[in-house]
Amino acid sequence: MKINFTHRVTLLSLGLALCLTTALQARIKLVALPERAATIVRLDNPSATLIEEERVLTLQRGVNKVDFSWKGVSVDVDSIRMLVISHPKEVTLLNVSYPPNEAALVWEIASEKDYVETVRISYLLSNIDKLITYKAVADKDETQVDLKSYIILRNFSGEDFDKAKVLLDYGSSFERDIKHEETKQLLFLKKEGVPITKVWKFDSRTTPWDPEKMPDKNIGIPVSYRIKNTKEAKLGEFALWGGKARLFQDDGSDSTIFLGEDNSAMVPVGEKMELYIGDSRDIVVTQRKMREPQVNIKKNNSDGVVLFDKDVLITAKIENFKDKPATLTMIQYIPGEWEMEKCNMKYEKKNANILQFEIELPKRSEEGPAVKNLEMNYLLKNLRK
Amino acid sequence: MINRFSIIVLILLASISEVIGKIDLAILPTRDTVQLTIYNSADLTLARESRALTLKKGLNELQFSWANTLIDPTSLEMQALKNADKIDVFDLTFPQRVKNLGLWNVQSEVSGYVPVEISYLTSGLSWRAFYMGTLSDDEKVMRLQGYVRVQNNSGEDYANAQTRLIVGKVHILDQIAQLARREQPYGRPTGQILRRDRSSGLKHKAQIEELDVMVTSSDSAVDASMVIEAKQVIKEGLSEYFLYTIEGTETITNGWAKRLPSFNVDEIPVVNLYKYEEEMYGRGTIRFLSFKNDEDHELGETPIPGGAMKVYRHVDIESHLSYEGQSSFKYIPVGEKVELNLGAVSNVVVTPTLMDYKTKNYRFNSHRDIKGWDEIRDFKIEVKNTRDVAIKVEIKRNFNTSYWDIEKDGPFDTFEKVDKDTVKFTLELEPQSKKVFNYTLTTYHGTRREEVTQ
Repeated sequence: MKINFTHRVTLLSLGLALCLTTALQARIKLVALPERAATIVRLDNPSATLIEEERVLTLQRGVNKVDFSWKGVSVDVDSIRMLVISHPKEVTLLNVSYPPNEAALVWEIASEKDYVETVRISYLLSNIDKLITYKAVADKDETQVDLKSYIILRNFSGEDFDKAKVLLDYGSSFERDIKHEETKQLLFLKKEGVPITKVWKFDSRTTPWDPEKMPDKNIGIPVSYRIKNTKEAKLGEFALWGGKARLFQDDGSDSTIFLGEDNSAMVPVGEKMELYIGDSRDIVVTQRKMREPQVNIKKNNSDGVVLFDKDVLITAKIENFKDKPATLTMIQYIPGEWEMEKCNMKYEKKNANILQFEIELPKRSEEGPAVKNLEMNYLLKNLRK
Repeated sequence: MINRFSIIVLILLASISEVIGKIDLAILPTRDTVQLTIYNSADLTLARESRALTLKKGLNELQFSWANTLIDPTSLEMQALKNADKIDVFDLTFPQRVKNLGLWNVQSEVSGYVPVEISYLTSGLSWRAFYMGTLSDDEKVMRLQGYVRVQNNSGEDYANAQTRLIVGKVHILDQIAQLARREQPYGRPTGQILRRDRSSGLKHKAQIEELDVMVTSSDSAVDASMVIEAKQVIKEGLSEYFLYTIEGTETITNGWAKRLPSFNVDEIPVVNLYKYEEEMYGRGTIRFLSFKNDEDHELGETPIPGGAMKVYRHVDIESHLSYEGQSSFKYIPVGEKVELNLGAVSNVVVTPTLMDYKTKNYRFNSHRDIKGWDEIRDFKIEVKNTRDVAIKVEIKRNFNTSYWDIEKDGPFDTFEKVDKDTVKFTLELEPQSKKVFNYTLTTYHGTRREEVTQ
């Protein structure tokens, strides 16, 4: 059940006449409960939600005590701060004290005159946050997407917010009533015709090598869409928050199919978002180790082998059964110290042990699938027994 | 029929709302059309339905509820099919303390009937492909009939739905059924202790039990309806998927299943293929039926979705059948070979026999310990076809080392080195025939390995 209370956050101003000792022993919570004016829910930090609310206090000349308490909500006490807005030079916040066994604090405010003072109170509130989701609809040729991003506001904080202004670190703000236990989905980004690149990736470390050894199972080649967060790609104004992305494709008949979904990490401006949508079963890679004898063997005086190389021949048959051409990104991993003896395809060395091939595959023909064969002969060097 | 969805439009006339508040004009628009795109690699269906709403100028509040169904609320989307630029979907709210209900705030610049499309992902609908193969009596050709069976356990009746089936492996992060059962559509902020809604949990269990009963009783009803006129299935490739669109519309009531013909090819040339590989199948011979998904085999228009297949054979002129076996196969792209594993047989026998074993070429170190040698094994492979039909046999031999040489002799048709320690012999045998071939395998050990590779 929802915790039922009318004012979980109450603000009281106390008159000048009350002396310090009285306040400490038995705080009298007085009368004028200032109405909450503008409220801002700021969601630009991924781990905490900042609430800023404005209240109008009736201050009297001298020292005023202002009591701030809460119930049924989780406020980070050390995050509470007050900003004097109307008369910042004439009104001074003197100190903050915490009454025992209460979710509350008391501000002492010195005012040079009687003022109707607007203050802004801010604090970090738990159990209210946002999620980001994406929905992308690709065209039939898979060259571009219509991209939408939604903010999902989840308020389980215990507090209702009336006409709160919701802010991210970019995009326009929203003004909404946000009730406790309410979840709201708001569209905040819509871009049409964002160019994409479709990527098929075979990684020799994670994808099984020989489909014939798994006769009852298709070995899929992972397929991703790559979206650049750049101006050229109609984005690039701000970092794209991480979130769940669902991808669809226009089927050419006024409808769509669901392609898949993935989680995106935060994508800074200039960087790429890569969304894994599913596996292709129309590109088949059969990789085999054809030989790996020990060569260049070095022995000690007792005739024991102390150092040797391995002469490794890897072959990979790549078949495209699709009726469209495709570019397969192939990742090969060679551990330790090595030297390429012969390789019939170009590759880029990504680091000491990772080679990346970009293999252009024509579409299948009437004779059958388009086939390319990789042959890679390398020495694994200076291995020890 | 029970329609568990309901839509209520609550219209707030912007100009006078402050004075009179909500005007509860409750309209329950019927579902005009519905399209289901059902996946088989995941429990997932994309539903898309159109409804005509009556909107007024100003702010309209649209309430959509889906009690006792398995839809994923995070996938809900609405868009106007006409005047889309004049109708703005402000937000979607999942209000407090109400389950399975969403409220859209829609700002409209037009009034009157507005067709809208509501789409969502749901769980509980599924489909699978299955096949029936009927071999000719000489086993040279096979009639192949493909079917799809669509099952509805979604909690919702779908009347006159355009039904589409997706072949392909889709990547999803969360199970739709789990998303559908969440207490809050998007969960709660981290750190919150989730409360259990005991009443809804029990209700769901009861619902599933009820569905189970209905499923059990549905098969006979479906079989009775099998004589319906066969519909065309239109097939097209999209991205990494194949989309099967069943002609016309289908009514799939909750708890029921429906079998629909997918294709029917009369004479596919097939090869009776037998395989022998001890490491893979043990010491038995495994029967396969092999053909290609291409034009030469009267196929090749689309990939064939994976599924189970029962194989029969005509045994006499009156078309009596014998049951040959069952196999399941994976997705077959266009141009790819199909090999249906029909299980171990005893009428084709492969017998490898070790006929001789020798060692030689010993090498010794300075302490006169053995440091290298060769092992020579002579094998005789006898292959017997006791059947009345011609067959093809593939025999794979694994050597467990990459240091070997082979000499072979006899009436095999092809020999191939598969990888560093595997070879394959292929033979074709006439009916009631036998072939014997031999090979000598030399394996190198210790320092002999260096000698042969240097």
